[in-house]
Amino acid sequence: MSFFNSITLLFNGITLALSLSFLLIILWQDTRQELNQFFAIFLFLVMCWNAGSLLAQTASLIDADLSFIKIAISLMELGFTGSSIAIYTLTAVLVRIHTRRFRWLAFTGMALILAYQFFLIVTDAPIRFEQFDAGIFTYQPQPVSAIFYLIFDTSTFYLVWRYRRKIRSRSLVVGIVLFVIGQSLGLLNPELRALSISINLSSFAALMISFSILRQEIITPLAERVVQVEAMHKVSLAITSQISIDTVLNQIATQAVGWLDADGSGIFLNRENELELATVYNLPRQFVHRRIALGEGIAGKVAQTHQSIHVESYPRDWRGKDDLPLAQETFGSVICVPLIYGGEVIGTLMVIAGQQGRLFNPNDVYLLELLGSQAAVAIAHSQLFADQRAATLQAAAARSQLETVLIGTENPVIAVDRQLRLIFANPAAEALFSIQYNARDRLITEIFPANTLPSNFREVLSELRRNRTHVYEVSLDNKIYLCHLALLGRPRIAGWVAVLNDVTQLKELDRLKSEMVRMTSHDLKNPLQAAMANLDLLRDDVWDSGNSEVQQSIEAIEKQLERMYRIINGILDLERIKTGTQLQEICRPARLVEETLEELQHLADDKAIRLDATVDANIPDFMGDPEQFKRALINLVENAIKFTPSGGIVTIVGRQNNAGVLFEIKDNGIGIPVELHTQIFERFFRGRQKGVEHVSGSGLGLSLVKTIVENHHGRVWLESQVGAGTTFFVALPGIAVK
Amino acid sequence: MKVLIVDDEQAIRDALGRKLRREGFDVVLCADGLEGLRAFHAERPDLVVLDIIMPGGMDGLTVCRRIREVADTPVMMLSAQAITEEDVIQGLTAGADEYLIKPVRLNEFVARIQALLRRAQIAAPENEQGYNDGYLTIDLHRRHVHVDGHKIHLTPTEFKLLAVLMENAGRVVSQRDLLEQVWGHEYIDDIYYPRVYISQLRRKIEPDAANPIYILTEHRIGYRFEKQSPTTPKSD
Repeated sequence: MSFFNSITLLFNGITLALSLSFLLIILWQDTRQELNQFFAIFLFLVMCWNAGSLLAQTASLIDADLSFIKIAISLMELGFTGSSIAIYTLTAVLVRIHTRRFRWLAFTGMALILAYQFFLIVTDAPIRFEQFDAGIFTYQPQPVSAIFYLIFDTSTFYLVWRYRRKIRSRSLVVGIVLFVIGQSLGLLNPELRALSISINLSSFAALMISFSILRQEIITPLAERVVQVEAMHKVSLAITSQISIDTVLNQIATQAVGWLDADGSGIFLNRENELELATVYNLPRQFVHRRIALGEGIAGKVAQTHQSIHVESYPRDWRGKDDLPLAQETFGSVICVPLIYGGEVIGTLMVIAGQQGRLFNPNDVYLLELLGSQAAVAIAHSQLFADQRAATLQAAAARSQLETVLIGTENPVIAVDRQLRLIFANPAAEALFSIQYNARDRLITEIFPANTLPSNFREVLSELRRNRTHVYEVSLDNKIYLCHLALLGRPRIAGWVAVLNDVTQLKELDRLKSEMVRMTSHDLKNPLQAAMANLDLLRDDVWDSGNSEVQQSIEAIEKQLERMYRIINGILDLERIKTGTQLQEICRPARLVEETLEELQHLADDKAIRLDATVDANIPDFMGDPEQFKRALINLVENAIKFTPSGGIVTIVGRQNNAGVLFEIKDNGIGIPVELHTQIFERFFRGRQKGVEHVSGSGLGLSLVKTIVENHHGRVWLESQVGAGTTFFVALPGIAVK
Repeated sequence: MKVLIVDDEQAIRDALGRKLRREGFDVVLCADGLEGLRAFHAERPDLVVLDIIMPGGMDGLTVCRRIREVADTPVMMLSAQAITEEDVIQGLTAGADEYLIKPVRLNEFVARIQALLRRAQIAAPENEQGYNDGYLTIDLHRRHVHVDGHKIHLTPTEFKLLAVLMENAGRVVSQRDLLEQVWGHEYIDDIYYPRVYISQLRRKIEPDAANPIYILTEHRIGYRFEKQSPTTPKSD
């Protein structure tokens, strides 16, 4: 018997010592934590219970004084009832019930027990125990203690069952349950020896609890920290290793699940103000690329508010739109954190536990936010990297394309630097100029024949600076090339590039065309002369006979012949101006306008149109062919007269425009629709507007004007309003006044 | 007045002929250059109208040159070939007094012919003595010009031009004035006439046509006849 007792004692002692040492470790680690404090109280009360029981037994064995036994039993009673309250509070803290009612209940219970025990000792109330021989000691607990026990242990059971998912450690649950069972055993069996079995059981349970708490509070966090550090390391690696965006996203999704012991995760990325599910882990793959609007679902809300959201139960706590199909049916606890980079939400990271999975706590939110901040950097960087790589690839492709074009083209292309040293010549250029491979960096004057280079370098360079391009003709090997010069580099000029176009055939074609035009118009002019001459004779013969129909016919034929004549002349004029040499004389705008008026006054008078002209006194002169230019002015004014109804006004204005000359030919005629503004300068274009059908013309007048003005390095354009009138502008560079 | 018309195009030839006859001219019609040249010698016309492009190896320019070798009968070119100024200048340098571009209305054609005939018949002013500096001698009255002792041949237009310049010796005569006085006011716009004729004249009377001393160009205004001192020896 004593052997059994001593074994029991020994076991008790060891378990309690172990529990105490665990308590020490836990308290040493963090005394301020609520759980640790409550655990210390719990262990203290278990010790009281144990010590009381031990003292009572010992006292009965040595036939000690009754009052001593009573004190021991009081201590035991206090420990027993107290520990049942303590196990309840401990469980409550474990499952995180933080209501005021709970604390109030716990403290009131404690106070009541203490007061009651104190009352028993003070009033010297009889203790119901019997003492047999051989140390058998039967003890009947106080009914009040039994009530306390019943209330708190039942509550404990309820808590453990209700919040079983919140207690992550199985051994903790087992320990608590075991402790409650141990207490029940003691209550049911009043024999102290049997009570010692209950004490042993409870001590063991206390050991289990303390070990579990130790593991939950110290060992598991340490292990988790290792996992977290590893995960962080992997995410950091992902940031620095510049792997593809998909790999980065997968990494983050996987790490988040491993880190929080979750069941699945997903990453939404912000695309055009919508969230797109970019990657999933342990969720159906067909959900990828689903989109939700900002503000919808948990993910949308997080992206909108920049705040993390944590729900313990998706179907119960989330009242908004579902993030994904079947979320209501499958999701349990959910944490979603924003991925913020540079102040912008680039997406959200959502970690999900199944409905039977664990419940996340605020610490998990904190951890996930930590991961989220790293993930945001990783995602942003890999996106930037992907963009950059795409840009680089594009640039490379464009470059290779350009190279292919340059190498493949039959047009010789040559580039030189600012010192006029060769920096590039394509194969066509190398072949044409027999450029050696080692010619690079040599001066172009050493490489190219003198007649292929511009005769006046300085002039060409200044023109390039003005117009960015310069064209001149080059004759080589019986071929004619047009050499286009352009600037290389912008804004700083790095050199010049020349592209040669073989225009030999075009030149020949042009010559043939001119020849043909010449022949054709000649061949047309003879019949025209014959027809006109005979018509004139006919008119002399029959006009006075007075037959009005014959007169009409003669007039019609005459009109058509005149028209034909104008067309032929128009073609020839254009040809002449295009091929003919142009005089370079000083032209006086006032004189040209005056002569134009003289020429057309008659025409205007016939149509009762007022012809006005104002020329500024300070208008500069310009260089050109005065006759040719007068031709352009005449054409413009003639046109204006033609397309202005009787009684209208045609005004010619000549004035200074910056350093140049600006002519305005303004009418208040029928106007020209804007869509025709460029077309009317084309050859043979004739307006088909209402009201101009009767107007005769060759359709070459404005084309001629354009050619002449361009020959004078000028520009012609118009402004017009249908029904209100048209203004033609001719701008020319002036010459400095002497 | 007899007019010779050379044109390969029968319809033109006939129409021109009919018109001139109606206006009271005698008309001789020829279809090609050779025939025309023969008719010129046979008929001695007062005026010749020449087409330029004609079949048969002799074009209007050649016919004109051949006529100029022997006579200063007024010649009018009537051509469809007038693409550039050069074409006209070529015609005038061949010795033509007039260059009309086809098509031309009959009334204008007649008017031009009459003007040309008028120009050829204008007598020199009576009061002018002429000019003599030892190298160049001009006798306005007898219409004789001697250069370095040799009599040279001037067409009526060339002579008229020289006369107008000389009458205004020392003064600039504008292109417009020249055109009006030499050719008539109908010609006021044919600005290349003076240029061509001045260069022809220089070739004939100047010791060095490239560096003229008698007929000077006043740039973009006109021309001026400069008398030379008689003692200056003029020989190459």
